[in-house]
Amino acid sequence: MFRAIRPTSTLYRASALYKNAAVSSPARVSMAMNFARMYSAGAGLARSDVEKRVLDILAGFNKVDAKKISLKANFNADLGLDSLDTVEVVMAIEEEFSIEIPDKDADEIKSAEQAVEYISKRDDAH
Amino acid sequence: MATPASRSQVLALYRSLLHHSSKFAAYNFRDYAVRRTRDAFHAAKGEQDPAKIQSLIAHGEKQLEIVKRQSLISQLYGGEKLVVETKHQKILRRH
Repeated sequence: MFRAIRPTSTLYRASALYKNAAVSSPARVSMAMNFARMYSAGAGLARSDVEKRVLDILAGFNKVDAKKISLKANFNADLGLDSLDTVEVVMAIEEEFSIEIPDKDADEIKSAEQAVEYISKRDDAH
Repeated sequence: MATPASRSQVLALYRSLLHHSSKFAAYNFRDYAVRRTRDAFHAAKGEQDPAKIQSLIAHGEKQLEIVKRQSLISQLYGGEKLVVETKHQKILRRH
């Protein structure tokens, strides 16, 4: 007796499941798409943002005259920083943008503009 | 700094000393190492005697080995931060 009833009940349930599945499948697809994040997409820094942050770093140095700070200003000739101070400026930039600048590149950075130029070339800066 | 070679050598030494000094986990050692490095290099900035420069570089390299070793140990046993330390303190900017 029970066996006679069972097939109908499973049939009913199966159809119910099917119905639900049909209704919920679009929602499921969109959910799956939401979970697929594009990790590889680089954020990219806006140039104006980089410029502002580099100039802020310079402003943080007591030796630097705030009025003389500009993108074009040479660390040595215009801002009066010696080579040791320049090393510290470059290190502060490394810290700010979470990058490591190799020695030979660090020696090339002699103005805020060159620093901005270098950072915009580095994809891992943020 | 007599020759361009020793000049870039000194700057590289300065960079790595500051780099490793700022890695001490303990505030007091970190602050001391950074300050000591900075003061010593600025004090010897005008040195002209090549022999003296060479001995200073040799001394700095010895110190660098110590700083590397000790900052690593400091990181292994890093304890709690002091009250004066804030989360985003930029130690290299202050001078």
